[in-house]
Amino acid sequence: MSRSVENRTADVRRMLACARTIYAQRSRVVPALVASTGLTAEGVELGFASLEQDATDAELRRLVSAAGARRHVHVVLSSNVFVAPLRALALARAAAERVTVRPSPRDPVLARALLEALDAAGDDAFSQVDERDVSQIEAQEIHVYGRDETIAAVRARARPGVVVRGHAAGMGVALLSRDAEPGPAAGALALDMVAFDQRGCLSPRLAVVLGGEARAAAFAGALHAALGGWAVRVPRGQLAADERAAARRWRDAVAFAGRVWEAEEHVVALVPESAAGYVPPPGRHLTVLAASSPEVAAAALAPLARAIVTVGTDAPLELAPLVPAHSRLSLLGTMQRPPLDGPVDRR
Amino acid sequence: MPEPFDALAADLARFQARSVAGYGRLCAARGVDPEKIRLAGEAPAVPTDAFKLAHVFAFDGSDAAVTFHTSGTTVGARGTHAMRAVGTYDAAALAFGRATLASGLMPPVPVLVIGPSDREASDSSLAHMCALFARDLGLPAPFERTFFVRGDALDVAGLRARVSGLAPTAPALVLATSFALVHLLDALGGARLPLPSGSRVMQTGGFKGRSREVAPDELRRAVADTFAVSERAVVGEYGMTELSSQFWEAALVDPDSPHGVYLEPPWARVVPVDPETLHPLPRGEVGIARIEDLANVDSAFAVLAQDRVRRVGPGFELLGRVPGAAPRGCSIALDEMLSP
Repeated sequence: MSRSVENRTADVRRMLACARTIYAQRSRVVPALVASTGLTAEGVELGFASLEQDATDAELRRLVSAAGARRHVHVVLSSNVFVAPLRALALARAAAERVTVRPSPRDPVLARALLEALDAAGDDAFSQVDERDVSQIEAQEIHVYGRDETIAAVRARARPGVVVRGHAAGMGVALLSRDAEPGPAAGALALDMVAFDQRGCLSPRLAVVLGGEARAAAFAGALHAALGGWAVRVPRGQLAADERAAARRWRDAVAFAGRVWEAEEHVVALVPESAAGYVPPPGRHLTVLAASSPEVAAAALAPLARAIVTVGTDAPLELAPLVPAHSRLSLLGTMQRPPLDGPVDRR
Repeated sequence: MPEPFDALAADLARFQARSVAGYGRLCAARGVDPEKIRLAGEAPAVPTDAFKLAHVFAFDGSDAAVTFHTSGTTVGARGTHAMRAVGTYDAAALAFGRATLASGLMPPVPVLVIGPSDREASDSSLAHMCALFARDLGLPAPFERTFFVRGDALDVAGLRARVSGLAPTAPALVLATSFALVHLLDALGGARLPLPSGSRVMQTGGFKGRSREVAPDELRRAVADTFAVSERAVVGEYGMTELSSQFWEAALVDPDSPHGVYLEPPWARVVPVDPETLHPLPRGEVGIARIEDLANVDSAFAVLAQDRVRRVGPGFELLGRVPGAAPRGCSIALDEMLSP
């Protein structure tokens, strides 16, 4: 019954072909995604740039290797960033001949589009189930995406012997070397921030700038300018009332603790080290921290390490030692597009 | 005639904008010229989070006489409120405590603290207040017959002995946190500790994961039953490390006031504000608490708390903490990331 690596890779490649079809016909789903995500139409278009449509053979071999082998995997999706279902289903398909999927009730658009496209492509491994009680699911393995509480609830309800793989929430961090040019680095990081209005676990919420306070301030100012440009090209989507309230509270607290660069749709705050852990709410808000040395940067990141899914940097070779072992490492501007080589979250 | 509240508040806002760097920055960020403030409500409020991130005091830190810390761990750091003198804090606490919790009593009275002493918890503003009440309102008593939590252990036997030795005609004051009361009730297992007639029990704070959660009405009933006092003699206190004043339930001074309604002293105001605009809300609407405390001379006279409140009668109703923003997507939430 075991499937070869080649078969599994082919199954994932079929999914990538479906993703390309969905991308080509994305105008059909944009209105639904605007409604379900709160992003603007421009924000949805930008988000589609993160939809995986291709991968190298080496990447897919790593993905297949990470997936393991099961007969039946059940996937519980959350209202993740809207392109996330592709990777989630690819991991499940690489692992199993049969995949059942419970799309997020709040944001089911891409998952359903994928399932329809896969059905049309002749892959009958997938089926959608709406059962909320995972104790009713007979899968050998459950992949659950969501908050820690959601994952814990699934673990508690899963049948004995079922393996539950949890993919929890997280955040991105930017790490700038002493050689980083503020303007280009800010421009690249702004792209990572604007994608999905910072609601993803790859979205940067904190930037640590090696060098003195003046360099950090120059970077913060450049980021403010870059985000101002993005506000014109890709306006921020809707924030819910509680998100706006959290943002207001954060803005006032960091204005007290440090220095802020504010505009209608974004805030950049340069804060002292004591405030490094005061992570901003999503919605184009970023904390900038000056680190006088790599040791200071490492100390600032250490308390946050378990939450850091990815680190974006201008100098991956030089700064890799500062990055938590489980975190992905990418160039600034590509934080939202990790290779399709396994789960986004390696924690 | 005392100076009007707004005039004092405007003076404090100007002083704090000059002397507390962060407050000057906050005013500037909000486009407020401190010199032009005439009404208390025109001054930006300092979020309680700021007490965790930066110094909120108008003096050199080395001049601090006391430094109180919050117990919260929401952003991985504890809030700090330093004071270069405690005279104002003590005077404010005693004046309003006498007028509310101790209303009608003739101190000195026996004071029993179901909590640590200020020696053991020197950075706790609550321990400071309880010790102050024990000193200034209480009959002289040995340390171990006043404070009944030592090294995180509840001295039930000592408390029983002290209560059983109280004169039946001399009302007592019992000061306790909610979670300490739950531990006491659990330890007593239904047994009673009858206090002298006319006694009062102060109950403050939430549970913070330090005991099982008990609904307020249920806890009040159980406490009243255990101590053999009326439910109206179980009085809630609302205070914060970031403030210098406390708020007390009106139960003892207003027979018509329902439980859960807190009174402000004349030098403090609690204003429900819209959580996004921070504009005051009409009477009866639920908002977050903007607390204007004129006793916070050296720190922040206007503080934005994370509690939901609404104005009711002569006071305000406390409706629990503001929940964090509901997660959308897989971005981590602040509380989720840094809570232990």
